[in-house]
Amino acid sequence: MTAMALTQRPASVLSRLLHRHEACRGWLLLAPALCLMLVAILFPLGSTLVMSTWSLDGYSVDRTPTLGNYSAMLGQPMFGALIGRSLVVATIATVVTVALCYPMAYFVAFHVHRHKALWLILLTLPFWTSYLLRVFAWKVVLGYEGVLNTALIGLGIVQEPLAALLYSQTAVTLVLAHSWAAFAILPIYVSLEKIDRSYIEAAADLGDGLTRRFWRITFPLSLPGVVAAFFMMFVPTVGDYITPAMVGGPDGMMVGNLIQAMFGPMNNWPAGAALSVVMMLTIGLAGLAFLAVGRLVGR
Amino acid sequence: MARYIGFHRPNRPLALYAGAFAVFLYLPILFIPLFSFNAGVYVKFPLEGFTLAWYADLFQREPLQRAFWNSVQVAAVVSLSSTVLAVPAAMAIARYRMPGKRAAVSFIMLPLVLPGLILGVALLTVLNGLGVRLSLVTVALGHMVICLPYAISVLLPRFIGFSRSLEEASADLGESPWWTFLRVTLPCNMPGVLACLLMTFTISFDEFFMAFFLSGTEPTLPMYIWSQLRFPQDFPSLLALSTLILVASFAMVFASLKLGRVGLAPAGERR
Amino acid sequence: MDVIDQLHAVKSGKLDRRAFNRSLLALGISTAVVPLAPRRALAAPEDHATYFTWGGFDIPDYFDEYVAKRGELPNFATFGSVEEAFNKLSSGFVADIAHPCLSDVPRWSSTGMFQPIDTTRLSNWADMIPELWDVPYNVKDGKPWLVPFEWGQTSIAYRTDLFDLQGDESWDMLWDARHSGRLGCLGAGGDVWWCAAIKAGVPFDQIHTDEAFDKISAVLREQRPLIRMYTDDTTSLDTALAAGEIVASMAWNSSVVTLSAQGVPVKFARPKEGALTWVCGMMLHAEAPKLDSAYDVLDSLISEKAAIFNMRDYGYGGVNRKAFAQITDDELAVLGLSRNPVEVLQAGHFGIPQTPEWDQRMTQTWEQIKLGF
Repeated sequence: MTAMALTQRPASVLSRLLHRHEACRGWLLLAPALCLMLVAILFPLGSTLVMSTWSLDGYSVDRTPTLGNYSAMLGQPMFGALIGRSLVVATIATVVTVALCYPMAYFVAFHVHRHKALWLILLTLPFWTSYLLRVFAWKVVLGYEGVLNTALIGLGIVQEPLAALLYSQTAVTLVLAHSWAAFAILPIYVSLEKIDRSYIEAAADLGDGLTRRFWRITFPLSLPGVVAAFFMMFVPTVGDYITPAMVGGPDGMMVGNLIQAMFGPMNNWPAGAALSVVMMLTIGLAGLAFLAVGRLVGR
Repeated sequence: MARYIGFHRPNRPLALYAGAFAVFLYLPILFIPLFSFNAGVYVKFPLEGFTLAWYADLFQREPLQRAFWNSVQVAAVVSLSSTVLAVPAAMAIARYRMPGKRAAVSFIMLPLVLPGLILGVALLTVLNGLGVRLSLVTVALGHMVICLPYAISVLLPRFIGFSRSLEEASADLGESPWWTFLRVTLPCNMPGVLACLLMTFTISFDEFFMAFFLSGTEPTLPMYIWSQLRFPQDFPSLLALSTLILVASFAMVFASLKLGRVGLAPAGERR
Repeated sequence: MDVIDQLHAVKSGKLDRRAFNRSLLALGISTAVVPLAPRRALAAPEDHATYFTWGGFDIPDYFDEYVAKRGELPNFATFGSVEEAFNKLSSGFVADIAHPCLSDVPRWSSTGMFQPIDTTRLSNWADMIPELWDVPYNVKDGKPWLVPFEWGQTSIAYRTDLFDLQGDESWDMLWDARHSGRLGCLGAGGDVWWCAAIKAGVPFDQIHTDEAFDKISAVLREQRPLIRMYTDDTTSLDTALAAGEIVASMAWNSSVVTLSAQGVPVKFARPKEGALTWVCGMMLHAEAPKLDSAYDVLDSLISEKAAIFNMRDYGYGGVNRKAFAQITDDELAVLGLSRNPVEVLQAGHFGIPQTPEWDQRMTQTWEQIKLGF
């Protein structure tokens, strides 16, 4: 906004430069956010990279650079398995969440005519309760003698309580999907809301049916929002460790739990840093792959 | 203003779906108020009788109340400031062709990938190096770092493809760029801005890692709640507090609705 | 322009939205103006030491002596897990006093972040149970690194109505395949590894050998498929026991005390092989900014009253000998303690600190086993 203010100071060289070069204007608008990030991210990122080349010497750290942490990872199947599991769980949770949230966002964008803001707020309100308390609520629902099991037995659907509802990958996926629902709806809603209704009318005038209009116009135009929602949820979910730790049980653990253990009880920060770097690279690659797929679909 | 083909008609299945979705969203949440009135300490069935003791307890727990107000303040400041930073950034990304943009964008999105723990430890080391005293300000700073990528992600889809004809018209009519922004750009993108405010507030209000590492002796609510895990006997009053938060926010939303402040901006009719 | 704008606004209902924008702005300004800086009504927090501890220990009940002397409570910073606390301290956070456990002392004291405690400055030190702190690695030049605050045992908590006990109470209960999928376990190697050593019959003075490593990991691998949850937080563990999610779990005394108080039929086993004894307490920061106040905090925390509160309300062993006279035999029985605390201490197994390399190898192996590898 300061940038906007700057652009109007007449007769200044800077102003003329800005008017002429949209790149300069763009960078200026981007500058405040970028500055904050430069200060706040460069150091953590750099220190993670550097630390990942250190090694452990008793309780202290040996700072001679080595790639030992990385080569140690190659030798153990645990790392690959955990990263793979994290990617799978995050992908399933994200796809399910985005798919379930899209119709909801569509409903608010196109079928709610009054009180749209109210709807958005109502969809976000549940998340103003603490995550921890929500997890305990989920445990009541999914537990061995929980609400869902009691209901299923009462209805005669199962004979024995289902143990796999809680402390399993299913529970992790479910809780993740729930806690990210509002965050996935918002960007999709924002992009649907923007769509110029006249396009859709034009398509209708040309004889397109509801379904065809949706797939030919609405959906492609809302893709930026879907991509944003997907990214926003997928990326942090891969590295999440709190949800698996709370409801995952022994077999629901993800790579985040190992990183956490390395920075915590194992007290091996260098190895934790190396694993974080690998995880970030993996997420980056997964993100690129996803973008490529998204672009193909968008065509 | 326009008549939308198909949209003026209610869509039954979709409305039903929306209802089911709301149930999924709210059902687990409703156990929080339920158990806040339960006489037993543990969150489990069967219920053990009705009590208001946890609410009474709440009023005696001054640290908990302080943690709550700390969190409200931090979240409010964070949502506003990160939105203020994110709007121009998203505009720049969406509209201007500039060299190195992609790199800059991926850089801004990095906090999404960095584990919260690493970010927290590293930021604390930086702040210590600079000799900054830890307080809620440092927590807010950390939250801004986390919220910014989300804020930009929410705003971007709005600005991508946003028709600039209105802004150009305004400029042609002699409005300064600043006023054009305030009176045309911002209002037209209000749904995005609102979504952004909501999202960043929600994230900051429930964030634990930055808060833990970057706070001094003033805790935020999530920190306080997580630190209580060793003592189950204090858990129900946390449920009571959460219930009050829910009730108060509902009351606020509906009150502002009655006062005609929120929601009377039928965004769809703005064009 | 303005008139047209206004007209247009009224026509399309934008005026309301403007009002909405204005109210948003007002909200923003008012919250931004409220200062974020810490505020405290009474004296400046600068006058008091900061105590970095678990949430729940930051309560007035422990600080009667301190308040009597200095007028108000010290400052608190809280954590939910020792490891996070250690990370925060390692990154440069300075709190006068931190609250780890005895088993953390070798690692914590090796960082240079702490100073040994001058016990002559503690008026209640004479009543301290010496067995709790007088171990070689906790003493430097006759001064302890850590002043004990609470202690107890790691044993098995089980539901008397749901767990089918055959024969004597023993560590075998947590390896009982009949209750597969309904057993719980702690997550910290500091507890689990030593308990598994007891179960595997490895004497603690042999725990550093390769053979011990093989035996203990084998026992833990055998147990993993039976386990429903590994957890380190008492709230999750107690809730799971109360809900019947799990029927038996490795646990600390406090769980049984709270569960019993809530009417849950639960018992703290006295395994025939013996239980594991643990001690936690306070360490003093090397650069403690408020040293005098910090010593008063320490003194208050080891007072008779604090020890009674620990035993009666939180279910931990107290460290002040005088406190034991105030507790009834029934209360002691639930806690798994006896009138003479030294008896319990001698009957239980006390972990022996090992080399950093051992620590490294143990936690690494344990974390891998937990993750299923």
